[in-house]
Amino acid sequence: MSMEEVEGSHGSMFEGGVEVRVLVVDDSPVDRRVVEGLLKRSGAMFQVIAVDSGKRAMEVLGLTEGKEAEQPTVDDPKIDIILTDYCMPEMTGYDLLKAVKEQSCQKPIPVIIMSSENEPQRISRCRAIGAEDYLLKPLKTNDVLRLRDYARPAALSPKTGTKRKIAIEMMAENSGSERRPCLAGLAAA
Amino acid sequence: MLPLCSRVLLSHPFSPMSLMALREQLNMLVNSMYIEGLLDQQFQQLQMLQDASSPGFVAEVINLFCEDAERILTELTKDQAVVDFQKVDAYVHQLKGSSSSVGAQNVKLACIQFRQFCEENNKDGCLNALNVVKHHYYLLRNKFDTMLQLEQRIQAYDSKQQN
Repeated sequence: MSMEEVEGSHGSMFEGGVEVRVLVVDDSPVDRRVVEGLLKRSGAMFQVIAVDSGKRAMEVLGLTEGKEAEQPTVDDPKIDIILTDYCMPEMTGYDLLKAVKEQSCQKPIPVIIMSSENEPQRISRCRAIGAEDYLLKPLKTNDVLRLRDYARPAALSPKTGTKRKIAIEMMAENSGSERRPCLAGLAAA
Repeated sequence: MLPLCSRVLLSHPFSPMSLMALREQLNMLVNSMYIEGLLDQQFQQLQMLQDASSPGFVAEVINLFCEDAERILTELTKDQAVVDFQKVDAYVHQLKGSSSSVGAQNVKLACIQFRQFCEENNKDGCLNALNVVKHHYYLLRNKFDTMLQLEQRIQAYDSKQQN
């Protein structure tokens, strides 16, 4: 199995001005490529790193199962959002979610679960330990556009300038109170 | 008899008429695949993701799908005397997922049926379902092969025009 590192569309600036670094975790090469294509094509400035297992994801995140990151991830975050498949061999998306959320850093990386199964119990389990959202596969453009909302506020800070930074941070704070993460495709009981 | 210039245009391999014919053939092929249920809206989404910065995206995804599908079908075809329903279900789940992501509707639906037989521990059902999945997959693959060949010919013409 391999790790693919894929750059987003560098060089083109959009109104937010900042790339959001997404770690895509999926054992299916088809799904990895499709999600990567969606992220790159969405126009929302994503830098994509795609890996094929939870174990590889832990390596990218600098984590070892049962241990915390040797270097803090808050001050020098490599990844802004984790987008992980639920069903994977050995280490599931749930296991990865748990490992990330167990980190004692102030702001754990947001984790969004992807799954082809619309199972309320599975969704509840993931939400209960801190998953920001649960998206049904195959993902749609609207699903990936929402990912920017989940990026940590620091990730939305521009590289230069202060006025834009203040405006974006205010937007991130305000959007938190209005946004109600939607569990895509969750059928009402 | 047609004027010489027209005869040259019609007979030339890269004449505008043949390019139009290629595009028409490709459109008809893809449309027929939607009508016959081989493809669903998800494939349209993939087509929309292809652009100048990623001109080979659809071909790449199709090739990844076919490699993955054939790997899975090979595994499923092994040791049919004893069926490990859990293992089989895991493979079919994978194939269902990738076929869903590509928009391979008939393959996806056949996988859903296959999983049902796995859940019931129905060996004969599983063996039949495997044949159905294979039937739909190889039908789709043949059409994908034709589709990609047509696209390559069209792109070759476009490249030649730009040079």
